[in-house]
Amino acid sequence: MKRSKTAALLLMSAAPLLLTACDSESPAREGLYTSVEACVAQTNDSNTCQLAFAKAEKEAVATAPRFANREACEADYGKEKCAERSDGASHSFFGPLMTGFFLSQMLSRNGAPMNGFNSGPAFRDSNGGWQRPAAAGASGGVYRGGSRTAMVPISATPNRAVTTSRSGFGSAGHSRGFGG
Amino acid sequence: MRRIATAERPDWRDKAAACGFGFHTIDDAPYWDESAYYAFSLREIEDDLEAPTEELHTMALDMVDRIVDSEQHMQQLAIPEPYRDWIAQSWRERQPHLYGRMDFAYDGTGPAKLYELNYDTPTSLFEAAFFQWQWLEDQLARGQLPAGSDQFNAIYETLVEAFGTIARGIARPFHFAAVRDSMEDQGTVDYLRDCALQAGIECGALAIEDIGVSEDGRFTDLDDNIIGCLFKLYPLEDMFRESFGAHLPRSGLQLIEPPWKALLSNKGILPLLWEAHRGHPNLLPAEFDNGGALPRGWVRKPLHSREGANVAMHLDDGCELHTDGPYDDGPCIRQACHALTRFDGHYPLIGSWVVGDRACGIGIREDSSLITRDTARFVPHVIVEEARGVLMA
Repeated sequence: MKRSKTAALLLMSAAPLLLTACDSESPAREGLYTSVEACVAQTNDSNTCQLAFAKAEKEAVATAPRFANREACEADYGKEKCAERSDGASHSFFGPLMTGFFLSQMLSRNGAPMNGFNSGPAFRDSNGGWQRPAAAGASGGVYRGGSRTAMVPISATPNRAVTTSRSGFGSAGHSRGFGG
Repeated sequence: MRRIATAERPDWRDKAAACGFGFHTIDDAPYWDESAYYAFSLREIEDDLEAPTEELHTMALDMVDRIVDSEQHMQQLAIPEPYRDWIAQSWRERQPHLYGRMDFAYDGTGPAKLYELNYDTPTSLFEAAFFQWQWLEDQLARGQLPAGSDQFNAIYETLVEAFGTIARGIARPFHFAAVRDSMEDQGTVDYLRDCALQAGIECGALAIEDIGVSEDGRFTDLDDNIIGCLFKLYPLEDMFRESFGAHLPRSGLQLIEPPWKALLSNKGILPLLWEAHRGHPNLLPAEFDNGGALPRGWVRKPLHSREGANVAMHLDDGCELHTDGPYDDGPCIRQACHALTRFDGHYPLIGSWVVGDRACGIGIREDSSLITRDTARFVPHVIVEEARGVLMA
């Protein structure tokens, strides 16, 4: 077969799963928390915070980076930040301890969180940067890594700057656009 | 390859509305047209379109590698001097790219001939990847197509996979931008954003016009966040000319498509490819234009025209055609004239999609003229089984 087996839409579908995931008018609320208490303080939603933490903790072992020995793990994640793990088939390895979890929720147009959430474990590397498994946060989790899940950084404090000027791009714009 | 008239789905406008396909009719003229489809054999698709697309794509990337080391080539492609090192660096770092579309003249006989590469801001993506796919499924279910009909269209799956592959190489925050008032461009970035989300990539959207710049020359979104990576459905060469362009090389902004695409989305690539692969069956003879009279059998195209604008054609029979447009002030190339074949009064141009270096599908636009312009209509296609027994004798 030379065609896609499915052709799903998230954003553009009339019956969306995550219609507003990227829509600036209806933003997502995302947070990185080091404890359930910190999460509750921020969101005032104890139930969701507990569920999010439990889910993250459950996924942490499976999705954390794996190292053959403690030294290699500690080189990336710092002293006493690693633990021995087993995958249940008597293969043991070392992985970083979960140091936090992220929680993202879609907000409705009035700013209230909608049902459902996404959460997952977060790890802090020896440079103080936060990261999480690449596939976590995937809506539907279609593209999962294997046992060595790729890690992506979390920008816990967004990089901001005062904008001094806008509209410096787009002057060539015309209504029919630019496709060829 | 045949053009076959067929009955439209009675509810296709509702289906278009349900998936946000708002530009099926543009300025009261039809753009999506399912009153006919093109039928190909599997051999035509695989041997004449898919394989040449992958080969030409490889040849084009090899050519980028040569151009970045050549001031002369940069000059021929009219790349502004302040951007040359930045473009070359983006290639040496192999900054990730996502997609492109090759346009071919093809009629089922003889090799497909490359008209041009749309490697910076290709559109007609949603209609090819999604709406065309849905049309096939619906028409199969309604019994309007031969059972077992297929389509060369793994564009969606390849896009989600390609986003997954480059996810780690995309700086955050990641925004998709297009011209605010272009419904077609907005629809195209919506679809790309949809695919990025499905690959698990967080992303935002803003209008090209809303991009800001900070005092230290970094690009910002409407919340004053520094943009990490910008997918821009906006021509690189226009960004170079505009007032914020000068900030690009030192801003730290990652672009998709990356700066090195400026070398491919440039018709100057066509004479360079011809020079390096003279006689290749899928290439047309091409040379840089010297400004002289256009001889019979040649077409003149500006380096940067889009939507078939400012093209002049001098046919073998002496007939001359040309289109107007805004691209009348830059250098041009000449390409040997290889006219599109007429099917029932229409001239189809094959757009062959390359996503993440893989040829993954086609979309056909047909115009009533030999020059495919922004008035062309998108017509779906199918792959049908070849009649059995023909070769038995």
